[in-house]
Amino acid sequence: MLELFLVEFWRNLLSLRRYPMELLGGVVTLSLIFYLLFLGARFLAGPGAEFGGRLEAVLVGYLLWTFTLFAYNSLSFGLMEESQTGTLEQVFLTPYGPIPLFLVRNLAGLFTQGILVFLIALVLMALTGARLSFAPLVVLPFLAVLLGGYGLGFAMGALALLYKRIGQLLGLSQFLLLFLLQAPGGFPFSLLPLAPGAALARGMLAEGAPLEAKALLLAFLNGLLYLALGLFLFRKAVGRAKRLGLLHGY
Amino acid sequence: MENALLEAHGLHKRFGALEAVRNVSLSLRPGEVLAFLGKNGAGKTTTVKILSSLLLPDRGEVRLLGKDPFKDPWALRHLGAVLEGNRNVYWRLTPLENLVYFGVARGLCLASARKRALALLEEYGLLEKAQVEVRHLSRGMQQKLALLQALIHDPEVLLLDEPTLGLDVETALLVQEKVRALARAGKALLLTTHQLEVAEALADRVAIIHRGEVVLVEDKERLLARFAGNHYVLELESSPPPAVLARLRALGVEGEGPFLFRGDGEALWQVLEALRPLPLRRVARAEADLLEVFLKVVGHA
Ligand SMILES: Nc1ncnc2c1ncn2[C@@H]1O[C@H](COP(=O)(O)OP(=O)(O)OP(=O)(O)O)[C@@H](O)[C@H]1O
Ligand SMILES: [Mg+2]
Repeated sequence: MLELFLVEFWRNLLSLRRYPMELLGGVVTLSLIFYLLFLGARFLAGPGAEFGGRLEAVLVGYLLWTFTLFAYNSLSFGLMEESQTGTLEQVFLTPYGPIPLFLVRNLAGLFTQGILVFLIALVLMALTGARLSFAPLVVLPFLAVLLGGYGLGFAMGALALLYKRIGQLLGLSQFLLLFLLQAPGGFPFSLLPLAPGAALARGMLAEGAPLEAKALLLAFLNGLLYLALGLFLFRKAVGRAKRLGLLHGY
Repeated sequence: MENALLEAHGLHKRFGALEAVRNVSLSLRPGEVLAFLGKNGAGKTTTVKILSSLLLPDRGEVRLLGKDPFKDPWALRHLGAVLEGNRNVYWRLTPLENLVYFGVARGLCLASARKRALALLEEYGLLEKAQVEVRHLSRGMQQKLALLQALIHDPEVLLLDEPTLGLDVETALLVQEKVRALARAGKALLLTTHQLEVAEALADRVAIIHRGEVVLVEDKERLLARFAGNHYVLELESSPPPAVLARLRALGVEGEGPFLFRGDGEALWQVLEALRPLPLRRVARAEADLLEVFLKVVGHA
């Protein structure tokens, strides 16, 4: 498994080195979106408007969103591409089994996605003048959010495996993610995927709230639950794809 | 069927109304090449995919070194496959990177994957392209790499769906030579191809599938001997006058350019008698080839 992780990690680095424009393109687009929203908001608020701590909170929310976005859709995009180009069947011939392999792939992708989000953060801090000071403990609720993100990613991956062209659906549902990440922390909302971890992280970063053990536990439980659900659905989809012969493209 | 490396019993697969595979049983023993032949759409690829656990059969079972690959994926450690109509490798990686990646994904450790990748690239004359992205390689090179990708983890069982498709003469011969060498080394190979001369050159056994059913499985030599039977080919220096031709037809001689006579050696003398004194170019016992066998079997099935 460690070897598998290393080789997946290496494959990520290779494509980063060989196709750096894809990473840069991502940084530019995602930075630009936020910057334009920022300019628009400042224009509406009038000259001299002060965002105070709000800007930082919104920026953190945005970065969290981009990070979750990758966790959410990279598996599906990978599956769609590989079934089209015809490497998916070879990937399914792994003795590790497809699910462990895709889990390891996700894990190995974290690093490159981290670089991307880090670059976006740098660009946006320079452009907007926001100052982010990361409390290291924020990483924990962040992780809980990511777990849930991967869970949703596996659920979408199940659809991608069965129906192939789900690009549109992925695009639209990104905004649903935004809603989940901005949902308040209280009871009914904490059942939604991603919401409790995101609320906790937001509180810590924007209001300097302390890390509450109970809230963190809840966030992790939520993340694990949705991960388990996603894996379950994906497993079903793999079985169905193998029954119907859907692993190859066209 | 003792010590077969791969065994399949009673495979059935239906796609909607179409029964793509019906009651297929096959076995692959160490050191043998099984040519799996059939017309387009006969069910070859479907069977190969079931054997490699990519497609779940409606009924029947597959045993790979005694294990069920659908339940125990680690059995796939012993299987390599070149799948038809697939690229089989990553276009954005080089041959070396592809082989290292798939080697590890199939259970090797990084160091041995790399070592074996280099050895294979060398052996198959791809070393100078080891660092070129696959998308810049020629089609034949990509096809060769697809084969190496199936070999990287040194599996006991190889399923090759049209492995010589699109290869130039030299490369096709190299692949044929390698297939023989793999069989000599004790691997079990299943090969589908529409190039019957390739099948004839390589196969130890032949299986023919027709409309989803295996209609024939037999040792190649025995099969060819059985089909050769008592057939003779006759060629004349010039075409015979109509009277002679009429007599030939009466004796049951078929064909025009080379005449074909089905009968034993004694009956052949009657034919020769009828031809006297026309100059003969050739009289020979007909040898069956796989093409003829194939056409007869799928024609009558
Ligand atoms: N996933 C699928 N869904 C529906 N039908 C399928 C599927 N896969 C194969 N078939 C059908 O099953 C039949 C057998 O196809 P198969 O690919 O096994 O043939 P083949 O012997 O490999 O032919 P060829 O020589 O053309 O490669 C065909 O009629 C094909 O259309
Ligand atoms: Mg086929």
